Amino acid sequence: MKIVSGLVGLLLGALLGVGTALAAAGMVGQGISLGGKVDAGGWHSDWTIGSASANPWTRARIARHGLLALNKDEAVYFTKAVDDAGDRLTQSCTYKVSGGAMPAQWWSITLYNASSYLPDNSDNALSFDLTDAAGAGDTGAWSFTVSPEEAQGGWVSSNNAGNFDLTLRLYKPDADLLADPEATLAPPSIEKLSCGEVT
Amino acid sequence: MRLPVIGITAFIIGFVAVHFLVLNALPGRIMSTARERIGGQVPLHTWQMSDRITPQTQTIVRPSPDLAYAICVIDLSTGPVEISVPTWPEYGSLSVFDANTDNVYAGSLDARLPDASGARRILVAMEGQDTYTSDITEIVTVDSPEALALIRRLAPSQGLYDAAAALVPASTCGPV
Repeated sequence: MKIVSGLVGLLLGALLGVGTALAAAGMVGQGISLGGKVDAGGWHSDWTIGSASANPWTRARIARHGLLALNKDEAVYFTKAVDDAGDRLTQSCTYKVSGGAMPAQWWSITLYNASSYLPDNSDNALSFDLTDAAGAGDTGAWSFTVSPEEAQGGWVSSNNAGNFDLTLRLYKPDADLLADPEATLAPPSIEKLSCGEVT
Repeated sequence: MRLPVIGITAFIIGFVAVHFLVLNALPGRIMSTARERIGGQVPLHTWQMSDRITPQTQTIVRPSPDLAYAICVIDLSTGPVEISVPTWPEYGSLSVFDANTDNVYAGSLDARLPDASGARRILVAMEGQDTYTSDITEIVTVDSPEALALIRRLAPSQGLYDAAAALVPASTCGPV
């Protein structure tokens, strides 16, 4: 009877161990972030991404959702999946994303679906970056629209994205950002403009 | 020992052991799959330019459509590997990832930097391997033979992507 009790406990524990490990790594869902977290106005990052000091939960989650990510001296990655009101970003709504100068040599904002892939569309409007901001005339005050249908000015397509997130990449980040990200990064705003039926 | 205590103890042992076993195995497994997916058609120690990133060409999670990527699949089981990559007039980097997905090295390819030369040269080796036969002084050490080297070059237009692709023949990645 003792052996049966032990085996049942071992089996149940092992099953829970597999499930929680897969969930923490984001093999199911988005994964769980533990330790090293940075939150700059709702844009989340983790300074241990890509480094040997990452804990096993972070390493597994990044392997699943950000494989081949660079360490923080080369690039940092911020992600946000909700708008300024805290509502989930979804292709059925139109958003205005705006911001100012970024503390890095070069930056980009890219849209990814819930599976961490570029959305399956052929709109050729997958990201907005420093080059686009310079082309629009002001790298210190820029904005673009996120919507499933083409918009005037800067546009990132959410066509076929479902629920999505935006990833802000900052390449060659300034030392001030690495030292005090919350105080240094002026977080881009994500304003919901309207919502409607997806056609 | 009473039955509930035995069951709970076994449950905790099973949970902790399997949780960390799976968690620690996942990055290596994912990296191995990525190596097969990326390098499936590519021989070892050869720079391979990725297609320009689109939803239809993406092979790994969260690729940047603004960058031109080139990758070299490395096997250090027979000795160190030398890498030489030309610099780039915009943002660019050369990085190395170990089998556990850690970014063990990242160096700039930006030709505008004061200390930039015409190319970045590194030697990738495992601990204990002979690195003295190479004249390269920048040495990257990894724990296991499997590794990946990756070039990123800022190339948001087709013209810049083509210019980045034209540099691949001048890039090397091979045994010493």
